[in-house]
Amino acid sequence: MKILRALVRKEFLQITRDPSSIIISFVLPLISILIFMYGINMDSVRVTFGIKNDDNSAEVAQLVNSFRNSNYIDSIISDNMNDLTQKIMRSRIKGIVLIPNDFSKKLETGNSADLMVITDGSEVNTANYLQNYVIQISNQWLSTGKYAYSMTPSVVIPVVRAWYNQELNGYFFVLPGSIAITMTMIGILLTALVVAREWERGTMEALLNTNVTKMHIVLGKYIPYFCLGMTSMIFNLILCIGVFQVPFCGSYFVLLFVSSLFLFSSMGIGLLISTKLKNQFLASQISLGIGFLPALLLSGLVFPINSMPKIIQHLTKILPPRHYITFIESEFMAGTVWPVVFKCSALLIIIGALLFVAVYKNTDMRLPND
Amino acid sequence: MNTVEISHLSKKFENLIAIDDLSLNIESGKITGLIGADASGKTTLIRLIIGMLKAEEGKVSVLGLDPVKQKSQLNEKIGYMPQKFGLYEDLTVIENLKLYADLKKVPHDFEKLLQFTSLENFQNRLAGALSGGMKQKLGLACVLLGSPDFLLLDEPSVGVDPISRRDLMKMVRDLISPATTVLWSTAYLDEAHSFDTAVVMDKGKVIYEGRPSDLAKTSAEFEEKVIELMGGYQKSESRIAANYVYSHLDEVEYPVVAENLEKRYGNFYAVRDNSFNIKKGEIFGLLGPNGAGKSTSFKMMCGLLRPTSGTARIMGIDIQKDPEKARANLGYMAQKFSLYESITVDQNLNFFAEIYGIPKSDVKNRVNEILEIFDFGDLKKQRTGDLPLGFKQKLSMACALIHNPPILFLDEPTSGVDVLTRRDFWNHMTSLAKKGITILVTTHFMDEAEYCDRISLFYKGETIAIGTPSELKKQVSAKTMENAFIKLIQESDKK
Repeated sequence: MKILRALVRKEFLQITRDPSSIIISFVLPLISILIFMYGINMDSVRVTFGIKNDDNSAEVAQLVNSFRNSNYIDSIISDNMNDLTQKIMRSRIKGIVLIPNDFSKKLETGNSADLMVITDGSEVNTANYLQNYVIQISNQWLSTGKYAYSMTPSVVIPVVRAWYNQELNGYFFVLPGSIAITMTMIGILLTALVVAREWERGTMEALLNTNVTKMHIVLGKYIPYFCLGMTSMIFNLILCIGVFQVPFCGSYFVLLFVSSLFLFSSMGIGLLISTKLKNQFLASQISLGIGFLPALLLSGLVFPINSMPKIIQHLTKILPPRHYITFIESEFMAGTVWPVVFKCSALLIIIGALLFVAVYKNTDMRLPND
Repeated sequence: MNTVEISHLSKKFENLIAIDDLSLNIESGKITGLIGADASGKTTLIRLIIGMLKAEEGKVSVLGLDPVKQKSQLNEKIGYMPQKFGLYEDLTVIENLKLYADLKKVPHDFEKLLQFTSLENFQNRLAGALSGGMKQKLGLACVLLGSPDFLLLDEPSVGVDPISRRDLMKMVRDLISPATTVLWSTAYLDEAHSFDTAVVMDKGKVIYEGRPSDLAKTSAEFEEKVIELMGGYQKSESRIAANYVYSHLDEVEYPVVAENLEKRYGNFYAVRDNSFNIKKGEIFGLLGPNGAGKSTSFKMMCGLLRPTSGTARIMGIDIQKDPEKARANLGYMAQKFSLYESITVDQNLNFFAEIYGIPKSDVKNRVNEILEIFDFGDLKKQRTGDLPLGFKQKLSMACALIHNPPILFLDEPTSGVDVLTRRDFWNHMTSLAKKGITILVTTHFMDEAEYCDRISLFYKGETIAIGTPSELKKQVSAKTMENAFIKLIQESDKK
């Protein structure tokens, strides 16, 4: 016990001397959350498009006003088609709405009238969004104005309600999910160097000739970095819930419990890499490769798992962040759903325990034979 | 009684036989010196004795235990200081001591150790910020904690100055109980001569085992005998020197000049008002304890570090004003091995030939020539990092000489190198000097200092004595260079 305490104290002293682990624990989450919050935007807000109106009737002027009267979409008006095409090419605007000069005249005579929408197809989502926006606004204009009689009234009116996230606010689910990515990186990065460092600096050779046992060495690494990781986790949650006001419907106790299981499992990956490779440079490269990329791409945060090929879908099951993301999204937005909590916890415990055993088995008490 | 009993031990690394059917007993309560050339298997033997490596064949018994199967019981009884000692550089002196005391399950009682290591006033300094000598003393102190029955020290005195070396020896002799067995691997034959038993190894075998005094009365004779045992050193004409072409045309009386060099960090003078001139063809030795400012001076001399004031002239060119032109006249060998470890020997040579500005068409010839005269023919496709230390140092020297520079700067070229290689090195250096090359060298080996034409003794950032070896010895009426070194420093401390 005394030996373990000495090792843990030593590790904490090293943490305080070396700012890099503090930076990883507290600056990385901050940057990561800011990027997910402001850098990556999953909602199509603030799109600008151009309007070229050749019809100067009063009704059409109202339509143009409705187009311009949106919180989400900006528009510019121009009579110069050349200018607008140039702007699309330079990505200044994402589309053009063209109102021909006989637009109101055709409607006046009871005919259907054409309105042209050009969109930038290189950004499919934005193009669709803009198209829908134009259709919606023109229908609204049509049904409330002078030409309302020409509309066939709809019989079915869908009333849409999005559960768990009524405002369909993207960052409400992205931010909690981003914690999973950040914590995977932190869990792996913090630990990937620490065993390799002891081998490289020769301190391991000295340690192995004292009364230290294998369990001491393994726990001596797990405990201090678990503590540091949990502080970082709490810092993440404070940023998320306290600073960015993401609504939290679940239980803090459950959240911390499952988060600690998740940290335990992602630390296992880092420690296993470090124990196996005994080389800091390699360990840091590899941990980024197998730690960060799958967490981002295969965890279901960015790309839905359901749309992945079957094999990849099975593969994602061994990734701790996948289960954690499932849990944290439901815990934040739907509150504690016990079946989800039990399933995710059980899986994280299994993965974490397997990794712990692998770390223990791979801890050399002798010099490698080469 | 024997502490260690080894019979027919063999250990292979891939194709390399490190230990070859070795049998050896180490007597209890004695200090045994382990001597041998680089890559003769000393470190491997020590690691086999403590169970850090597993042998393929043979039996080892240490303190009646099997070091592989009963490793944890053995650990309670031994103190082991690896060559690259495992101090935590980001922990302070006292934190390191406390850690190792806890790991050895002994109380925190460091008064005597701190006093012996004279580290009392540095308790809160980070271990990484200590000088080389102090680090080794702290390392030894950590190993001595818990009064082990068996102490194994793997070259504790590499890169350590004579004064710290004496302190290390004194620590071991005064702090162990008479029953303690010590196995001390060393490249210093004067150290080995003072031990109870000497074991000389060569190519994984023990080639001599017995009392050092049986082999020779004095340590100088002992060195000759050991060299003889290792196959003998025949001083032959240095091919490196024979091949060297002194091509510098304009004659300068003093190719290397230091003019009031000074380096200050805040209030601390790392080097203070250092001036000297080196004549053409002279070997000029820079001696001094660890942390005296030798390496700092060195780096300023070759323009790697900007002096606070003063300057250096290389072939008459001011290093501050025109560092590139001045450096073109230099061959530099850094203290730390600074070649690329992951590429092969000939790739390193090629690279250095190119960056030293040898015309592209001549590179290939020059590299082949160097490979031949340095005897690297068989090794040219070897990965540089896998070479034994002596070869690495030789390769560093080859890279420094590749462009036939008129001046050579060598920072501890022989640190950690065995006695045969050291002799070889100095043979090349003295022969090169005869051909007109000017050499500035630092060393901790006092016998090497004797080969220098002139010596500057450096202490706490200042030159405290300068002159030929015999002048310095006469100055304090000392018989050996080592005694002169220690006396001069003690005198300087009194002032």
